[in-house]
Amino acid sequence: MTNGSAGIRRSRLRARYGHLWFVLPGFLVFCAFLVYPMLTAFRLSVLDWRGLGNESHFVGLANFSEALTSPTFWRAAGHNVVFFLAILMFQHTVGLFLAVQLNARPRFMEVYRTILFLPVILSLVATGFIWTLILSPNIGILDPLLTDLGLDFLAKPWLDDVSWALPSVIAVQAWNHLGWAIVIYLSGLQGVPRELREAAHIDGANAWQRFWRVSFPLLAPAFTSLTVITFIQNIRVFDVVYVMAGPIGAPAGRTDVLGTLIYRTAFGAAGITSADVRMSYAVAITVLVFVFMLTAATAMLYGLRRREVEA
Amino acid sequence: MSRITRRTILAAPLLAAALPAHAQEKVTLTLWHNHPEWKARVLAILARFEAEHPTVHVELTEMPSSAYVPRMNTSLAAGEAPDIIALNAGPDTKSAALAGYLADLTGQVDISTLKPSAASASLIDGKVYAVPILGSYTVGLYYNRDIFAKAKLTPPASSDEFFTVAKALKAQNIAPMIGPAQDGTIPGFLYMLCASSILGAQGLDEVRKGTRKLTDPDVLRASIFLRDLFPYFQPGALGTSYTEGKALFALGRGAMMEAGSADYAGFTETNPKVNLGVVPFPAAPGGKPSTVTGMQQVFGVNSKTKHRAEAIAFLQWMLGKEPAQMVVDTITLSTSTEVLPSDNRVMKEMIEASHVNDVRVWFEFPQVGKVFSTAGLKAQSLFLGELLPEDFAKALQDTVNPAAT
Repeated sequence: MTNGSAGIRRSRLRARYGHLWFVLPGFLVFCAFLVYPMLTAFRLSVLDWRGLGNESHFVGLANFSEALTSPTFWRAAGHNVVFFLAILMFQHTVGLFLAVQLNARPRFMEVYRTILFLPVILSLVATGFIWTLILSPNIGILDPLLTDLGLDFLAKPWLDDVSWALPSVIAVQAWNHLGWAIVIYLSGLQGVPRELREAAHIDGANAWQRFWRVSFPLLAPAFTSLTVITFIQNIRVFDVVYVMAGPIGAPAGRTDVLGTLIYRTAFGAAGITSADVRMSYAVAITVLVFVFMLTAATAMLYGLRRREVEA
Repeated sequence: MSRITRRTILAAPLLAAALPAHAQEKVTLTLWHNHPEWKARVLAILARFEAEHPTVHVELTEMPSSAYVPRMNTSLAAGEAPDIIALNAGPDTKSAALAGYLADLTGQVDISTLKPSAASASLIDGKVYAVPILGSYTVGLYYNRDIFAKAKLTPPASSDEFFTVAKALKAQNIAPMIGPAQDGTIPGFLYMLCASSILGAQGLDEVRKGTRKLTDPDVLRASIFLRDLFPYFQPGALGTSYTEGKALFALGRGAMMEAGSADYAGFTETNPKVNLGVVPFPAAPGGKPSTVTGMQQVFGVNSKTKHRAEAIAFLQWMLGKEPAQMVVDTITLSTSTEVLPSDNRVMKEMIEASHVNDVRVWFEFPQVGKVFSTAGLKAQSLFLGELLPEDFAKALQDTVNPAAT
């Protein structure tokens, strides 16, 4: 009797939780490659480990308080916010405009779409190198081209100028990411029921009204996705800045972002010596960035989802 | 006991272990290196080693110097470093040795043939952990002989002469100096040279001990000289990377550049016809023309390697006369032994330049290790006038730690 009820209990447990065995491999991979590194990062952030050797001491929250009171940290974070806002505006205007044009199915649409999406396929490192070769004051082709066209008043050392360096790097990032905006908006536009637009047309709505009153509200999910993706991409931006402006965010930190700050803190600015590396401090900054991104992205998703429902 | 006998005795068991004549599988040693422009020359040296040691193959991975330190540091921490580990002499090597990443080579590698500076760079707390198989590099002022001859100028020896020459070059629409300031490497070296011209080796020792400061009025002239150099850099200097700067200089787009003996091979690789000369870096006011010298890394053996005997045999072979001659002739570095270049005017000029007022690179000393990187980090603000020389010097002095060991 006892054996029988135990067997029943086991088979019930198997029926209820047996599926967890199928989840286990994925869960282990998740723990190994996400949870464990994250916990390790939290542990490192409260030490003073340099990154070379075994010597380290517990310093509590000292790394966090140092970062939060560092003007360099806030300047870099400010540049990330500028990156995000500038690219967000670019994607929600130029990206949306191009998506609407493509949605009208012009001739050679596939060709246009491929050309516009091409920069996304290029790595940001390659993109950065290409644009460095274009913008360099020494070997770049843009300034000589402008001079030859009689527009020499527009020629300038783009990556050397304290006013133009950040906009130049942002423009390259925007060019590289434009394809995402087009694809996301295009898929959103293709999901807008044709009947709704036709009904509005019959009711006398012009093209602008059909877009603004019918299509655009239904693009709310695309807007949400793009905004959150853009936020994450630009708070994490590193490669394009590193390649175009170097590890110290030249000139004089004008292009410094959290990514370059973390990199040079963890590995050194010049790459010649490890004398200035502070791995634990760099990890503490990454933890702060992680917490900020998690909080802001969650708040964004919550706010934008509510807007979707209202729309 | 003669040197040769001692070396033979020391090396014999290692070579025996590494090279039992037959029936041994070929061993592959991994080696990372941070000068891609030397690859062909390093491979030629490795080929010579392999010809003499047929059972050993050295697999070379070259990477740019900017990527080398991050990759090596993370690999050491992850236990995935190559069999032969190349590190900067000084604090980096000491940290790696104390962490147990490097095998103790004391008594297994003969360093008796090394110059005193090279031998001291090999020792950590009296033990040998790594040896400078590629010798050392010296940094001075390269100048383009063709440009100088055409402009009827002679290379400068003092700050006053520098500004006279630079103004004359600028008047002829020639960039007086290539100063790639984007990543801080060149500004860091420029500061070391300017300050070393005032301090000399003895003055640097005083800074390390804390009895002299970088903010002292005489040493402050180094920061002022550095700031005043900037207007004579090529256009767009703040946006020019180190690699791009070297290429510009090799192609004759500027008349002078601060660079090291290690850079000469890269210059000729970019432009085989480039006609260069070397002098010590012009003295800051009150100083002597100077050069700085550092070890071209020191090479140790990974404590976790499965091929320890072969790795030690390789290091010992590299300290021999033939590879040292190849290093000095093809890679144009000063060697750690008393080997002179066979026929290389530029190399001889560099050796001559280093006899005037040579100081070891600061980042090989723990007390002033951070001055170089901080100078690189802050120099752009100094150039743009956002930082006064006094504030710049103070920022550097704040990183000096006489208590560091």
